[in-house]
Amino acid sequence: MRQIAFIQAINEALDEEMARDDAVFIIGEDVQSGVFGASRGLVAKYGAERVMDTPLSETAVAGAAIGAAMAGYRPVADFMFADFMWCAADEVFLKAAKWHFIHGGRVNLPVVLFGNIGGYARIGPEHSQCPESVVMHTPGLKLVVPADPYSAKGLLKTAIRDDNPVVYFYHKRLLGLQGEVPEEEYTLPLGVAEVKREGSDVTVVATSFMLQNCLQVAEQMKDRVSIEVIDPRTLEPLDTETICASVRKTGRVVIVDEDTRRCGVTAEIGMQIMENAFDSLDAPIRRVAAANFPIAGGYMEQHVLPQQRDIVAAIEEVIA
Amino acid sequence: MALDREQLLLLYTNLVRARKMDETVVKALQEGKVVSFYHSGQGSEAVGVGVCTFLRDDDYLYPHHRGHGLAYLIGKRGDVKAFLAEHYGKTTGMAGGMAGFHGVDPAHGIFGGGGTIGSQFPVSVGWALACKKNSRGQVTICAFGDGSSNRGTLHEAMNMAAVWKLPIVWVCENNLYAQFMPIKDAYPREDIADLAAGYDMPGVVVDGQDVIAVHEAAQAAVERARAGEGPSLIECKTYRYRSHSEGSRDVSHADLRPQEEIEAWKKRDPVKVFREKLVEQGVLTEADVERIDREADEWAAEIDRFATESPVPDASVLEKALYAE
Repeated sequence: MRQIAFIQAINEALDEEMARDDAVFIIGEDVQSGVFGASRGLVAKYGAERVMDTPLSETAVAGAAIGAAMAGYRPVADFMFADFMWCAADEVFLKAAKWHFIHGGRVNLPVVLFGNIGGYARIGPEHSQCPESVVMHTPGLKLVVPADPYSAKGLLKTAIRDDNPVVYFYHKRLLGLQGEVPEEEYTLPLGVAEVKREGSDVTVVATSFMLQNCLQVAEQMKDRVSIEVIDPRTLEPLDTETICASVRKTGRVVIVDEDTRRCGVTAEIGMQIMENAFDSLDAPIRRVAAANFPIAGGYMEQHVLPQQRDIVAAIEEVIA
Repeated sequence: MALDREQLLLLYTNLVRARKMDETVVKALQEGKVVSFYHSGQGSEAVGVGVCTFLRDDDYLYPHHRGHGLAYLIGKRGDVKAFLAEHYGKTTGMAGGMAGFHGVDPAHGIFGGGGTIGSQFPVSVGWALACKKNSRGQVTICAFGDGSSNRGTLHEAMNMAAVWKLPIVWVCENNLYAQFMPIKDAYPREDIADLAAGYDMPGVVVDGQDVIAVHEAAQAAVERARAGEGPSLIECKTYRYRSHSEGSRDVSHADLRPQEEIEAWKKRDPVKVFREKLVEQGVLTEADVERIDREADEWAAEIDRFATESPVPDASVLEKALYAE
């Protein structure tokens, strides 16, 4: 099977969905070039009316997408850096999230809210966040966090076809990651986790770039401990059952997510495991996440964001 | 467009009904039938009625929150039974009782209402973008108050609509107060319409108590938008008789709103002024006036009865309510 880069997989998903459905369009700042390459080349194929470069106006980008979605279109609103979504917090968290529900289901908002996440590029707190937990916390928003090219493409196609608002976060450090992606068309359902590596001693649940880090750690530690690595792929809907089935098998679990520890994704998943599989636990749940600080820039970033050594330490704690 | 007798009667009837239904909601709130709160629109009915009465069903609209959009809804031939039922929290409400007061009526181009002031600007751009993409001559009306005009979202939306020449009409209801904040302390100029020049679009000031003046300004702006010539801004000078929200203090900063000011505006009541003009022109007889009043009373009573007798939703609807299938 061919191997393509993560960002190429995203580009293909956008291309295919735009070819398939005239209602799909991309809107955002500088999307005709695409700062990260997500929509590069698409304006030549589909024209400026469907790959829309906007003024520097996050609330207008979000509002234009959300409004057009209500009126029958399927926009992908690209915020560039997910951090910039906060400039349009009303539009995302009060309108996109809530308007289907509070209007008695009489309007649909089939919009994708698209943003690049993550640190390890040392560019500071307003360009490096993984704002997953706030999105996961907000009823009405679905949340996709692919960890490899195959997921990135299949999930984005599904997100675009979904009649609900879907937040799609793709990580800076995954852009060049190569992975197997079939030539034939496929989609992936939301809410289905993948067991990326089978194991018997410890369950590790990890998202996005952390998933790739955990696979590396699992390989490094394989002579000492058999680690099962699970990629949730989507945080809302979350495949709690696959996670808990693994915990029932191993009895020990470490949850790894790059968002902040306090009230983070790791907190929610940990609590769901406690609620559903407590009797299977042979050790307390451990989690690895960003420390409770804004993400410092420069050399200080490494002291805030989770590192591979933190993952190793958590696994060693849980098997001790 | 010169209005014929039937059209003039329609405008007048809409004004009468907008006033009548607002009074109905105020009374129902006092009686405990309204489940949340209410921001009366008495005094400013000519704006919504003048802007919306001759719009197409497939024109899109964000009503201003005065009267929770009643004057706009009635002008647009929207579902007033569902409006009141929503205010009573019933299953037959616009939002099935889920909103309490936010208006939604997609068949008449109303896709929802928000709780944050100024949130109409960005979503209206989206509706206008859809209108443009549809190429069917649709326009979007985005109505807002003097308070809303302070929000930064106005700038982003008006700017984007201007550069993209979107088919949108921005309608400002300037009633001189944003809750307890007088406009003179919130904006450095007399006329909000002055903003228009900054977005390269026409901006006009209109007597908001004169339904014909409102209609004519709206008509020109709508025709401009339909012709693909882009946005316009209409500022309607108007007033609200009651407090910002029913039961809240009726103040400007910390002082009561001046009674002389309220009385002066009431002398130019939009319903009364139009009625007197039509009677004087021989368009309306006293018998017509009496008939239209009586029919409005019966209409309001029937809607109140319908809403009162409708059931309240139960918790079982929540599970399916979160996502579209």
